[in-house]
Amino acid sequence: MHNFTRRHFLKAFGITSAAALTGIGLTPHAAHSAGKAHVVVVGGGTGGATAARYLKQLSPSMAVTLIEPNATYVTCYGSNWVLGGFESIEAITHGYDNLRDRDGVDVIQDKVIGVDADSRTVRLESGDSQQYDKLVMSPGIDFKYDDMPGIEEADAETIPHAWKAGSQTELLRAQLQAMPNGGVYVMVAPPNPYRCPPGPYERVSMVAYYLKTHKPRSKVIVLDPKEGFAKQGLFEEGWAEHYGDMIEWRGGSNGGRVEEIDVSGKTAHADGGQERVRADVMNFVPAQRAGQIAHDAGLTNEQGWASVDQRTFKSVMDDNIYVIGDASVAGAMPKSGHAANNQGKIVAAAILRELSGQEPLDPSSASTCYGLITPDYGVSIAAVYQYQNGAQAAVEGSGGVSPLGQSSTFRRQEAEHTRAWYAGITQDIWG
Amino acid sequence: MKHSRLFAAGLVASLAMAGTASQAIADNDEITRGQLMAASCKACHNAAAAEKGVPDLSRVSAGVIQSQMRAFRDGERDATIMDRHAKGYTDEEIEAMSVYFARF
Repeated sequence: MHNFTRRHFLKAFGITSAAALTGIGLTPHAAHSAGKAHVVVVGGGTGGATAARYLKQLSPSMAVTLIEPNATYVTCYGSNWVLGGFESIEAITHGYDNLRDRDGVDVIQDKVIGVDADSRTVRLESGDSQQYDKLVMSPGIDFKYDDMPGIEEADAETIPHAWKAGSQTELLRAQLQAMPNGGVYVMVAPPNPYRCPPGPYERVSMVAYYLKTHKPRSKVIVLDPKEGFAKQGLFEEGWAEHYGDMIEWRGGSNGGRVEEIDVSGKTAHADGGQERVRADVMNFVPAQRAGQIAHDAGLTNEQGWASVDQRTFKSVMDDNIYVIGDASVAGAMPKSGHAANNQGKIVAAAILRELSGQEPLDPSSASTCYGLITPDYGVSIAAVYQYQNGAQAAVEGSGGVSPLGQSSTFRRQEAEHTRAWYAGITQDIWG
Repeated sequence: MKHSRLFAAGLVASLAMAGTASQAIADNDEITRGQLMAASCKACHNAAAAEKGVPDLSRVSAGVIQSQMRAFRDGERDATIMDRHAKGYTDEEIEAMSVYFARF
């Protein structure tokens, strides 16, 4: 475990007199007292569950509490496969039994409604509170409905975002199932930065896969404020091969910039009012910001995200609070599930080293974002990130996207790896 | 002062017991950079992924991990993705991470 140090002892137990420590004869076993601190993790998604699990595995005697409002977590990654009609929502739903029973994490189903940094306390909706030595916040995203005229959060019941998986995914799936053959699915894509950069384009692929199989006369239109997107060449190659002209992507300067949404008419107004695109099924993915609790705790910047020391993911606002996952600003690391998983490990190591009085590491992590164009056609973007010159940066010469023009065997292998990735990373996170 | 000593001594005793109860993944001294790198690889290279055809690196020796990572990096072994990953590591980093997989 970790070297017990005087600094940690003082820190963890609030003993102010160094003389209290003299002559005690701290043995190597005392190293375990580094684990006597209480770490509270807020949010049981990819980042938070990883952090809780790794803290506990790396330091079994540490008290780790995970606070999550829901009994289960449905991953956003994999949710497009549910829309494609070949994966169930149950298969992408994960519980906390293994964290609780095997790893010894204290999992509390409750919602954090406030953070008092001075008293190192989080307040819960139930009226309880938890005191922490270190707090890890992994609150995910919330939406900026205010950025789009004509639509508000409550309208997600008719125009789903499905960008937090679960009932929203099922709603969008049901709408696609009810859509007539020859209908139009319209995705209004989000501006940067947002959760899962290739996600909207995998979604479009999966919707097209479902429609091609069941309603082949239908149309898929993407209205996108951006001029380009992640893995664009690969997606366009795969779309042309498998969906012909079913998918139409309109970039920002080509009529893709939506200025208003008419909810009752399911119509997007774009291109300075010149263009009105009517949908049978509309999927509006709003602009995004860090989850609300990060704002309430005073951890966010003017852009709505949490700035951190990218070496440790410690908030720049508070010495005892760390922010990981989509909510944080992490340099070259994208807002992806794999990045959040890596950050959960980085933050666990950073907290344990700090509590043990050790210098922080310069973390290095590997990340892969897989996406499916059909169930048998996968593409990927890989990266190795290192902490360099004050930021998380991609290692020069490493990473990149799958090559263009590959064989169907290569694409099938990447589709198989996509499913292996899902099985592996979800076991890594939730046990 | 006396109270603090007693408190600390009791703590040491109880923690010594806690320490024997579970096998931690971490070293007895500190978490290293190599260990953190290996933990990152583990997301795709664990038992669950192995059921779908991706190698579980906890069953692969450090020597084989080193030779294969170099082969991926230097273009001597075909890959769909490991070539892109392997290019992110020096020989020293590959060695540093390779020794941790057997402990997972």
